[in-house]
Amino acid sequence: MKKHVNERVFFLIFKIISDILCIDDIHSIEGDLCMEILSVVDLCKSYEKFDLKNVSFTLEQGYIMGFIGRNGAGKTTTLKSIMRLVHPKSGKVTILGKDFAENEFYCKQKIGFVLGGVDYYPKKKLKIITDVTKRFFPEWDDEKHLSLLKRFDLDPEKRIDELSAGMRVKYSLALALSHNAQLLILDEPTSGLDPVSRDDLLCLFQDLIEDGEHSILFSTHITSDLEKCADYITYIKDGEIIASTEKDLFLDEYRLVQGPIDKLTSELTEKLIGVRKHKFGFEALIRTRYLPVAEGIEVESADLEAIMVHIERG
Amino acid sequence: MKNLLYKEFKLATHPTTYLFLSLGLMLLIPSYPGYVGFFYVSLSIFFIFLSGRENRDVFFTVSLPIRKTDAVKARCSMIAIIEMAQILVAIPFAIIGNASRTGENLAGIESNVAFFGFVFMIFSVYNIVFIPMFYKTTYKIGIPFLFGGIAFGLFYILVEMLVWIPSPIKSFLDTLDPTIMVQQLPILIIGIVIWFFTWIITYKKAASNFEKVDI
Repeated sequence: MKKHVNERVFFLIFKIISDILCIDDIHSIEGDLCMEILSVVDLCKSYEKFDLKNVSFTLEQGYIMGFIGRNGAGKTTTLKSIMRLVHPKSGKVTILGKDFAENEFYCKQKIGFVLGGVDYYPKKKLKIITDVTKRFFPEWDDEKHLSLLKRFDLDPEKRIDELSAGMRVKYSLALALSHNAQLLILDEPTSGLDPVSRDDLLCLFQDLIEDGEHSILFSTHITSDLEKCADYITYIKDGEIIASTEKDLFLDEYRLVQGPIDKLTSELTEKLIGVRKHKFGFEALIRTRYLPVAEGIEVESADLEAIMVHIERG
Repeated sequence: MKNLLYKEFKLATHPTTYLFLSLGLMLLIPSYPGYVGFFYVSLSIFFIFLSGRENRDVFFTVSLPIRKTDAVKARCSMIAIIEMAQILVAIPFAIIGNASRTGENLAGIESNVAFFGFVFMIFSVYNIVFIPMFYKTTYKIGIPFLFGGIAFGLFYILVEMLVWIPSPIKSFLDTLDPTIMVQQLPILIIGIVIWFFTWIITYKKAASNFEKVDI
């Protein structure tokens, strides 16, 4: 992190100097020093019954961003649009300051994209998939790959379908990291994993970003994963980004309130999100800025799951 | 492109591709329609696409740092190599079969120079129908194969019909006379030229279709 702060300071100083000296060609230097590893601006995609609407967010180097939303909210479509596997109607994606559409080869070198785990050519051995994959990456590091296989306890003689779900994700990561991918885009990497494997994987994510060069964007609806390791949260609902911010700020923006029904006035109801009434009273989410509320109403901090459930309840 | 071709042969090739290459042997069968052996090539191509779909080949390929058009070019190149290989394997068997047989092939055209020209044309028809149609979706394979197979079959019937009715055309086409076979060379050349240019059209159309596909 410190390294990046230094780079940013250096870049700002350079920008001031260049402004004074009227140097226009600062953008090439900006690309090298850019802390922004991923920038998505106004990504739109239309399907018959679903629209991705002006999806915009950024991710800086050295961080983990959790991409959350319920099933069908547009998480996978967004990730596929970033990778140009689906064709966005409009919008721009930049990787390390370079336009993805114009620099697809460069950008794909820098990205490790994992949809679940490796599930292609399940009857092939890992060593064959590796042998084919590595040919496409000039920066492929055989030694690093071997050490990653060892670290993840992966046997190259095994077939893909002999690997568990967690091992498949790990093999995907081993492939991505061996070609020096700086940005890992992972779609639901933890779904289907047992709690131990999930925890193991989340620890691995944290290890990966420690060098300050790698970043991870991963989609999930398992919010507890994000509590453990995410630095940023981007929340998508019905194809629209409703929040993209630091996790702590996001959590701090909401509170869980509960109280007796007679305290649920119309004025209060307007401020509440996802009210659930039950025989003992009500429970809802409220934005922190509306606090304090009436006496007799309990206010407590909300976790991601509670926030998500209440927001989706509407 | 070299890496993509490596990937095609290492991962995507179906075992029947190599097995069916040996069906050039069918040209040794006396009085047998020679084109049938080549139908199996279309079948092995179909199997490559089918197993590709089951193995999520398209997703794997486009995840690599390549252009989508290159993925199509590599697949089309592999098919061209398989078709060429099938013809090259079949030629020696045609020569041996023709030399060892007495009497004409009662079930169709003789395995002569014109015959191989027509084989190139049949491959052209199959390729141009099947491949671009597959790349419209990358998951619907049955319908493209059905249409490709119908195109293959219709063209096969058409060229066989040329030797069904006694006529100067039959005399010219359905013979192993070395002098006439030399005169048949333009048919072979035209077949190769048609195959080559339809390969380009097939690739361009398939690539254009694939570019529009959301994966």
